[in-house]
Amino acid sequence: MKKMIALVLVLSFSIAASAQQKIDVAVKQVNDRRSKGFFAELVISLELPKIQSSEVAASRVLVSAAVDETGRDLIDREAQEPRLEPNQRLGMKGPPMPAQVSLTLKNPDRRATKVKEVRGEIELFMPAKDANSVAEIAKFVTMSGKALSHKALKANGVEISLLTAAQVDAEKKRRAEEKRKEYTEAGYDGESIATMITSLLESLLTIEENELVVRVKDPNKRIQQINYVDAAGEVKQVMMREDEGLVRLSTWEGKPQPDWKLRVSMQTPKNTARYAFALNDIPLP
Amino acid sequence: MRVVVSFLCVLVVAVAAHAQSGVGVEVDDVVDNRVSTDPNEQFQLHGSLELRVKLTGKDLEKALAARVLVKDAKDDKGNSLVPSSTSPPDFFPREYNSGTLQVGLRQPSRAASSVVVKGTVELYVPGRDPNASLKIEKALAKLDAPLSSKSLKTAKLEITPLSRNGYAEMLKSRKVSEKDIEKLRAEAKTQGVSEQEVELAIGLAKAFEGMDTDLPEHAVVFSGKKSDFDRIFRLEILGADGNPIHVTSRGTSTRGESSVMTLQPSEAPPANASLQLMLLTDKSRVSFPFELKVQLP
Repeated sequence: MKKMIALVLVLSFSIAASAQQKIDVAVKQVNDRRSKGFFAELVISLELPKIQSSEVAASRVLVSAAVDETGRDLIDREAQEPRLEPNQRLGMKGPPMPAQVSLTLKNPDRRATKVKEVRGEIELFMPAKDANSVAEIAKFVTMSGKALSHKALKANGVEISLLTAAQVDAEKKRRAEEKRKEYTEAGYDGESIATMITSLLESLLTIEENELVVRVKDPNKRIQQINYVDAAGEVKQVMMREDEGLVRLSTWEGKPQPDWKLRVSMQTPKNTARYAFALNDIPLP
Repeated sequence: MRVVVSFLCVLVVAVAAHAQSGVGVEVDDVVDNRVSTDPNEQFQLHGSLELRVKLTGKDLEKALAARVLVKDAKDDKGNSLVPSSTSPPDFFPREYNSGTLQVGLRQPSRAASSVVVKGTVELYVPGRDPNASLKIEKALAKLDAPLSSKSLKTAKLEITPLSRNGYAEMLKSRKVSEKDIEKLRAEAKTQGVSEQEVELAIGLAKAFEGMDTDLPEHAVVFSGKKSDFDRIFRLEILGADGNPIHVTSRGTSTRGESSVMTLQPSEAPPANASLQLMLLTDKSRVSFPFELKVQLP
């Protein structure tokens, strides 16, 4: 039994040690937005002097403790865990810049003049650290109806298929039939079922002109972001919206053109790093 | 006894009248947006205190727009919060944002718990002045020449509707030239402005210049002096039925004393379209003093 406990302790220690790799941070800016209305929050921007901004595609900060000098706990316990935020400075021209991350807390007490302590972990998504971080599929709009093929997708266990209009229609019909069966079993009369199915078909998978529908299988939750890249190399932001198990891709920049690429960025154990950080006595503005 | 009663009645009536006239100011929201400053940062961000206020009172009924002019604002630690910018805010239409107004002040002390703001609320009530509303017939019939109308002359306003060519010519004349840049550099040098800030200003000027180039279909453009345009609260293009044509976007760009107003109607205006101008005249503006104590969040 003692051996078992010792082994567990050693294991816990080694996992903890890997997560506790410390990183140098410097406070870049503090924004205490105080309001009785919306968006009352304390945002602290941190600079990571030893990591280049160009290496970081996205980041998030997971705070484990934060308290102001009056003792107020600044962690919003009801808030969802932060998501990876894309690095807005990525691709910017100019001299190399250190990476920046930000963390969001609750407002400190107005009487507080400093945040006594804030600590936690910084998660950085650095695609260059893994050759299988990014899959770029050229002329993907011409590949409707079949699974997109790329070694990085395969390595991450990700499957993406672009659906043709006929496949979307077939999917709609299949789901309508499922619903018809469900309504029948629930005892609805034929007329009511017909009305409900008509209404369902009007709203179900109604694809806008600029939208594409893809079927995504991502059992390991690797996909971090999807973008389009046009012929000139310009990266387009893509919105992903799940609809009945399928994913609708859309962009503000029009319909994807035949010469555009689909870029899938994926998080892997190699390209995602977590570093511990701790700061004390951060002056409040 | 009767004398006392009637004296009291007069007093009550007088107090009620005073209470009914005027405009009240109430705080609707307070945002103390506190930002730390970094002495090493080239471009400093500054914190601010943003108040959203709502107006109350019967006098608002006929007002088309309102604005708040701050004369004094201090936190309870004695710091002045009056912004350094001296240009007064534009009148804000009453139909927007449920009639609320934004008041921007400087960041108060963190140690402060309240702020007192003093100033005036100004209402724009065009119904108080017959000269505040002008109609110009067939205003778009002749382009690239100043509009000719008696009412415009009385109002001492000069406005020129531009053709596409006229607009292109005007843009050319407004282009930032090498001479302008040299002049800017020389002025900046005398004022001790850093090289980086000068470059930023030049970049911004060029960027704004780039924004001027596209003129969408059906767009209607007017040029004039900034001081004249500042006196126009609203300009509407009237359709064949005499009603304002829906305008999807409108904007004014100014360079020095020259301004260009661009309106984007949802349909092509008829060739004989009239214009309706709502002017900010002295008689159409009414001021009410206010004093407001605001608890800081």
